[in-house]
Amino acid sequence: MIYARRVYVLVGVAVGLQMACGPLRSRTPQPKGQATVVLLPESDGSVGRATVSNPNGNVELVTPRASTRVVPGLAPEVVKEMSEADVMRLFGDAIGAQPPAPAHFTLYFEFDSDELTAESRVLVGEVQQSVKGYPAPQVAVVGHTDTTGDATANIGLGLRRAEVVRMRLIEAGVDRSSIVVTSHGEATPLIPTADNVNEPKNRRVDITVR
Amino acid sequence: MKARQHWLAAIGLLLLAAPAFAQQPSPAGRIKVVSGSAFIVRSGGTIPAEVGQTVFESDGLRTGDDGRIGITLDDDTRVSLGPSSEVRLNSFRYAPAQGSVGLAMSFLRGIAVYVSGQIAKLAPDSIRLETPSAIVGVRGTSLALHVVSE
Repeated sequence: MIYARRVYVLVGVAVGLQMACGPLRSRTPQPKGQATVVLLPESDGSVGRATVSNPNGNVELVTPRASTRVVPGLAPEVVKEMSEADVMRLFGDAIGAQPPAPAHFTLYFEFDSDELTAESRVLVGEVQQSVKGYPAPQVAVVGHTDTTGDATANIGLGLRRAEVVRMRLIEAGVDRSSIVVTSHGEATPLIPTADNVNEPKNRRVDITVR
Repeated sequence: MKARQHWLAAIGLLLLAAPAFAQQPSPAGRIKVVSGSAFIVRSGGTIPAEVGQTVFESDGLRTGDDGRIGITLDDDTRVSLGPSSEVRLNSFRYAPAQGSVGLAMSFLRGIAVYVSGQIAKLAPDSIRLETPSAIVGVRGTSLALHVVSE
């Protein structure tokens, strides 16, 4: 009972603080569950697209820092542009906690072989350098094949290619425990083709460092 | 007759066991950034968050008033929270070779930044970002969200 009362006091303080100096620092109390959604530009400067909807209506966010506020039970409000300064003031803490953007590498192979092309062999060092920039790094190594030959055999060939890359990465100094190897065989080609097509761009290993 | 009863019993046992299998959570990502007080919310309890910990499908993330946390999911989606914030991962599937991908998250309170990953490229309609007052659909997008708590 005493414990329950204490919890109530704590909740009361939290509500008071939220109203007095909550992230939006609004002078009027804001209804619980009210959401503000802001579309942020991508790191390359492009802008995606988002739809904010509920049973009462919907709005589209399509321009940099387009924002809408949604009061529970009401339709999303008319879209406004939030200033860069306000984005940083309101969301700076969350933006500052963003993990580094994952990096992608593609290594290519000779026909029906687990031998890397000469150009791709050079990339192994770049991957190893990249891994150093990540906290608790994960290196996903996914083997792929073109559609030549049997789909089941191609799972195996994709896996052999991925294993070759794993060994190269370990030789280059990447911690083996951070590497996970899988094979998609011919299931997810870079260039979609008919069956039994010899396509060099599909004979690859995709590496994601995150 | 006897054989039929055995079959029914077997089917009944399978039905009973199915939810237990379904509840096995699968890994969804990893914690990359932590400062101040930050927690994983798992099966009703909280675990202090540390860089390198695995985040599972159906885990939540919660920060105290001095806390921040950032995670990267296995499809490259990134989510980070400022202080006094909470999100919950409702479902995460990333098996592109099997054509099975999807992400559902709830933004419960505080401030968060969401940066979309591969799922948004492969099947944007399979992403569901919920807030208490609206649902957000994305097309290859970075978003900032603020949800007023009680």
